[in-house]
Amino acid sequence: MTDIDRSEPDGHERPGDAPPPASDESAVPARWEHAAALFLRWREGETRAMDELVRLMTPVLWHVVRAYGLDRALAEDVVQTTWLTLVRRHETIQDPRAVSGWLTMCARREAWRVGKLQRRADPTEVEHLEPHLPTHESAEQTAGVEDEKRQLWNSVERLDDRCQRLLRIIAFDDRPDYARIAQDLAMPVGSIGPTRQRCLGKLRTLLEGDGWRRDSDED
Amino acid sequence: MKTEDFAADAALFARLRAVWEDVDPMPADLVDRMVAAVAVEDLSREYALLTLVEADLAAVRSDSDTATLQFSDGTTTVLLHITQMEDGQHRVDGWVDASALDVRFVQASREFTAELGDHGRFALEGVPAGVGRLRLSVRDEAGEQHDFQTPQFEV
Repeated sequence: MTDIDRSEPDGHERPGDAPPPASDESAVPARWEHAAALFLRWREGETRAMDELVRLMTPVLWHVVRAYGLDRALAEDVVQTTWLTLVRRHETIQDPRAVSGWLTMCARREAWRVGKLQRRADPTEVEHLEPHLPTHESAEQTAGVEDEKRQLWNSVERLDDRCQRLLRIIAFDDRPDYARIAQDLAMPVGSIGPTRQRCLGKLRTLLEGDGWRRDSDED
Repeated sequence: MKTEDFAADAALFARLRAVWEDVDPMPADLVDRMVAAVAVEDLSREYALLTLVEADLAAVRSDSDTATLQFSDGTTTVLLHITQMEDGQHRVDGWVDASALDVRFVQASREFTAELGDHGRFALEGVPAGVGRLRLSVRDEAGEQHDFQTPQFEV
């Protein structure tokens, strides 16, 4: 079973493999389904479909790569390398439905590789993300919502690095294998992966200790 | 694990996404730059061809080690100033009359990505002598992206 619990890509996951067929139950296509459709259109000669694919997936790749602790400039390089690798090596993706998983896996491998080099070069520099909430104000973003975000971030920051990385990758990486595995096992997507559950559990404990309303994450 | 737990996990992940998007936002222009980088890399794409308008090749044949080339498709113009450096490699200073998103000089076996400056300026360093073509992705004033390439020329 493919699992994202391992913080480092280690070759057990095979992005080129065929993912399971899409679930046709949901009305709004999942992002990976949208990505697959765009990739297919590009392969069939519609060059502009690639631009849409880049727009769709770049934000995901950014957060996946940053989860590895790369500085922002290096993270940009890794995202770009990932895209150029897709253009150069897209023939190796046998099933276009695998494209989003292929992209995130490629980004994770490259981030891991580059991250090791960065840590070797500069072992002392640890970037600390300063929460700069709120970044923008709107009618929806009431003070309550901002408080909630701040509270959530405070708890996330108290998790160990591995849990932070894992949760961030999972939060942004919706991949077909998760959806399908869950469907096949009649098990909710969220139940897959003991490490993931352990990290989520820790986060919830921290949140509850902080007075987080248990029902507020169920709406 | 119950369905309610699944819903709770999904909701919590959605909130986590929102927090990371706030705390560590993607650079505002990253998507545009990635679109351009991919466009320039994508050989299946159809590039509008810029043709050579003017070449000051006399300079190359003279003792001064510079050349100036101008390419255009009637709307977009690219100006290149090529200088031979002391180490025998070349520096290319360029300017395009649109907002440059990605510029590359592609030779048979290698390619060079230009450093982009303000106002359509770009520069390539360490280019060895040989034939190649410039491939660039620009954005016009209306925000439309265009991909161009020049015919092959000799540096």
